[in-house]
Amino acid sequence: MAGKPKQVSEREASGGVERVLYEMRQTLRVTGLDVAARTWAGFERFVVAMWEAMGPNAETRAFESAADEVRAEAVEAVVRLGRLGAWDAVDLGESQRYHLKGALELHHYLQPKMLVFISAVKQALWGQPVGRLQPMGSAERIERGAPARMMELEWVSERPDDARLRSLFKDILKTVGPPSLPGDFRALALWPEYLEAAWERLKPAMAREEWKRACVGLLNTSRRLSLDLPYEVALSRERLEVLHEKVDTLLRVTEQFERRQPSLVLGMAWLVCDVPELERRVPFPAEARLVPDYVVAEELR
Amino acid sequence: MNWRDYQRKQRVVELGNRFISYVDEGQGEPVVLLHGIPTWGYLWSGLLPALALTHRVLIPDLLGFGYSDKREGFERSITRQAEAMDAWMDRLEVEDAVVVGHDIGGGVAQHLAVRFPRRVSKLCLMNSVCFDAWPVELMVQLGHPGVVRKLSAQMVQRMLKAGLRRAGFESAPPEGLVEGLVEPYATEAGKTSLVRDAAALDTNQTQELVPRLRHLAVPTCILWGVEDLFLPVRYGERLAWEIPGARLARVEGAKHFLMWDQPHAVMTELFEFLGVEGRPELAGLEAAEVSREVITYESYTPGPG
Repeated sequence: MAGKPKQVSEREASGGVERVLYEMRQTLRVTGLDVAARTWAGFERFVVAMWEAMGPNAETRAFESAADEVRAEAVEAVVRLGRLGAWDAVDLGESQRYHLKGALELHHYLQPKMLVFISAVKQALWGQPVGRLQPMGSAERIERGAPARMMELEWVSERPDDARLRSLFKDILKTVGPPSLPGDFRALALWPEYLEAAWERLKPAMAREEWKRACVGLLNTSRRLSLDLPYEVALSRERLEVLHEKVDTLLRVTEQFERRQPSLVLGMAWLVCDVPELERRVPFPAEARLVPDYVVAEELR
Repeated sequence: MNWRDYQRKQRVVELGNRFISYVDEGQGEPVVLLHGIPTWGYLWSGLLPALALTHRVLIPDLLGFGYSDKREGFERSITRQAEAMDAWMDRLEVEDAVVVGHDIGGGVAQHLAVRFPRRVSKLCLMNSVCFDAWPVELMVQLGHPGVVRKLSAQMVQRMLKAGLRRAGFESAPPEGLVEGLVEPYATEAGKTSLVRDAAALDTNQTQELVPRLRHLAVPTCILWGVEDLFLPVRYGERLAWEIPGARLARVEGAKHFLMWDQPHAVMTELFEFLGVEGRPELAGLEAAEVSREVITYESYTPGPG
């Protein structure tokens, strides 16, 4: 069995990869990138080509709305599951809860976007025609950069010193599947007692039939919406071969990311719905991107 | 008290797009305790139980530090920190307070006293930045923007822990203290914030205060761990000389983190300064006698040379 692909952070990246990671973070309007982007960044030629194909879509209102639709579906599904009860089960201080809410909001915003993103990349690599053949620049774009009130994306090491966390991480990875520990759980590990309480409740739910059905529903929605993105996503297996990338490894990890992402979206939605007064459907509404005409003209040229 | 127990006590208040985490315990005359770099409010956790018996103790994490806002997009100099503290006190409806500052927290306290004098009923500076005594070498290195890329959070953690252990304490610090002091900077985002904090350290911001210190009209107490390797005691003496009527207490057997090296001595001096009658139980502090020398005087007589 092939080893776990390494992840590359923006700090560690250089050249084209650094540029892509920076652009992805700005375009996706988040304070940090999750493990899928960091894993793809380990394949330098691929990540540059992938962003050339996906970047124009990722900055559109259509992409943002697709993620909003996925999030709303996830929220509806978890409301049917009843109350989670993790939020009230732990003794946290006011400031700790403030930070935790911020982390939940951030990942609740990011995860559905990543599902649509991954679905688009995966389907393109599998030969599906992703995106319409709309003229470049014709779709509405949204503002760039993380919203001012979004928390920093912080997380603990994948191999923490705390033995209790290590064992929890092992169980989470085994349950949600490869290729590596999801970033949202690493972030929640900043409050170990909360992660424990959350996981104790999420894990049995993930084995339930209704959970699996909801995941299938989310995946179908995401695939459908990603096929309908404004611009053609020019990626394919053949392109990977031309780029001399590790085709099988890339296809495998992308498929693994897509397979487990609906469950992560659902889990995060359930955690958010467990917290009073957190925005469930559109946590960080995006304004239209307003740029002077001469800038647009230059970009289109 | 371990750092997680301390963190659990923290509240939070939003100031525009920014937020400040702070501890608010006890009742009575407010005392604001300001930490330095590279620490956070947890620095004061040893003194908190005793002080809260007689006072309302307010311990903020400065912006960019601890569990206050650590995001990008704002300036972190001590002048801005003083403005943020003024706004924070306003928000908490604290008219004025005894302001105690350690390290750069002392610099913030000096700015508060000079620029927002109505906020400061009494001023206490502990091994404070002042004049051109800072930033210290370790922080200059940390503040290089390249550190964000070159060093991982783990590497910075190791560097900080080693630096604090080697030079910050006269005696071995309590188990878990050093780890707790630098814990908020253990993540990549935390490390980046600390680098930004270090990059904001600017000696000009205390130098600009020098002509104004001699016009301060606030009762001032200066406590200094005389073995401090970062900020030598001669700077404490100069501060005492510049600030009218300031009282200097030289705490023997203490380095930079005097409140941990000699908690009894520090609390005794602080209580006297606060005008606490008698000697309340020093809850949570070591009861053993400490070796210390306290010199109190009204004016400074420079030694030979």
